[in-house]
Amino acid sequence: MRSAATQEPVFPKWHWVTERGLQVETGEQTLIRYEWLLARALPEVEAIIPADESLLIVLKPGTSVSASLRALLAAPLTDASLNVGRLHEITVRYGGEAGPDLEALAERAGLRSPEWIAQHAAVEYRVEFLGFQPGFPYLSGLPEPLWAPRRDQPRVRVPAGSLAIGGRYTGIYPGEGPGGWQIVGHTDAVLFDPARGSPSLFSPGDRLRFVAT
Amino acid sequence: MSGVHVIAVRRAGMCDLVIDLGRPGFGHLGVPRGGAADPCAMAAANRLVGNDVTAAGLEIIGTGPALHFPSGGVVALTGSRFAASRDNGVAVSWNEPLVLDAGETLDLAKALEGYRCWLALRGGLAVPQVMGSRSTFLPAGFGGQQGRALRAGDSLTLGAATGEMRRLRACPPFPRRTHLRVVSGPQTGRFDDAGLAAFFTEAYRVEQASDRRGLRLSGTALTHGRTDIRSQGVLPGAVQVPPDGQPIILGWDGPVTGGYPVIAGVITADWPLLAQLKPGDEVRFATVELEVAQALAATDWEIGEPA
Repeated sequence: MRSAATQEPVFPKWHWVTERGLQVETGEQTLIRYEWLLARALPEVEAIIPADESLLIVLKPGTSVSASLRALLAAPLTDASLNVGRLHEITVRYGGEAGPDLEALAERAGLRSPEWIAQHAAVEYRVEFLGFQPGFPYLSGLPEPLWAPRRDQPRVRVPAGSLAIGGRYTGIYPGEGPGGWQIVGHTDAVLFDPARGSPSLFSPGDRLRFVAT
Repeated sequence: MSGVHVIAVRRAGMCDLVIDLGRPGFGHLGVPRGGAADPCAMAAANRLVGNDVTAAGLEIIGTGPALHFPSGGVVALTGSRFAASRDNGVAVSWNEPLVLDAGETLDLAKALEGYRCWLALRGGLAVPQVMGSRSTFLPAGFGGQQGRALRAGDSLTLGAATGEMRRLRACPPFPRRTHLRVVSGPQTGRFDDAGLAAFFTEAYRVEQASDRRGLRLSGTALTHGRTDIRSQGVLPGAVQVPPDGQPIILGWDGPVTGGYPVIAGVITADWPLLAQLKPGDEVRFATVELEVAQALAATDWEIGEPA
């Protein structure tokens, strides 16, 4: 459990994404504010979508920001703490055909490939948000030496299960499709299956560890 | 087969999708709501055939399918008018229930104006619900008819008709506006004056590569200071501008997060216009105040006894 840092009632910056999406800048408190708002289930809120240091609060058609939502956005999170998300262990084949960009990334980081893999698999990651494709997790916690820009030329076809690096995030492609992140490995885990009771393997706030095979 | 009504797809159209009002509630897992591009038009078609508004029908673009009804059926069409015919020679009308005789084929050849129409079928299409909806979600290949558009040879099963059947006529609100109304976006301020002036005064053309994920536009490039922004939650109607400066209006099956600056957002009340745009069309944008946009909830169609 981590406590929220803010004590002061600070009104966050917001913008609109169409007239129905209130984008609130939530910084490092994004997940905690997300869980906190979800628990309060306001009637005018259709959905809340966490993203990179912001939340998109989707209002039901024909509604606007109510006084209670306004108050909740400004309220300090003194008594809130982030739920400890489920921990997943994801088995990965790093490098080779499964991870065609690994060698170049290791070189860029001044590491040998096994050292790069050891660093990537040594830490615990957190699902900050899901997006791009159904079930695609944006994972924070990537050691800074491993950060790497997206590819100049996106690939037309990235296989499902590809483990990738995009900026300061690591992520996994749930389905096959085009993609611009650097591919470093592959997992057989099924990240998204619409027929499952819980279609997405991961939810915002979940934790991950990678295990190299 | 007794009691089970089946429809045979004799010819598939350009992209006929089983659709309903979408699957809300999965945005946080990366799944957009999807559903009919003009939910009020789909709902109206369902009401005309006595269905619940949430029943699944078809969303049809450009060139439509030929559907064979071995045991007849009751259907209703809303949205863009298509050159359409049926075996008994009676004109195919829009915005009212059509009673098809056993063995008739309904042929929706091509759109005469606009792009999209919606077909409701009494009883609703009985494809399995996936994540609470029967809507096709093409980008990930699930929902609807096995996650794909209809194909010639498909058989579609209808559910049991429950609602009351009456002679009804729908009055579509005619959006004769020429401009798409937009509110400012989160990164409007990142664009230079020339770009903003171009966006709000010039016409943009809808490109061929457009689909339910996004309408790709071409015209004067919109330049912005930084191309790299943090991934943000987005909605249908958000106008994203990638580094090449050519805007993309995100569509109903677009991603839930995006990493490109959003210059503006098409308001929900103008989805009926957005739904009728096709490659080659020109679009223009006009600003509207946020409060005005929020008061303009999507209009439910008026449906009543025919005059």
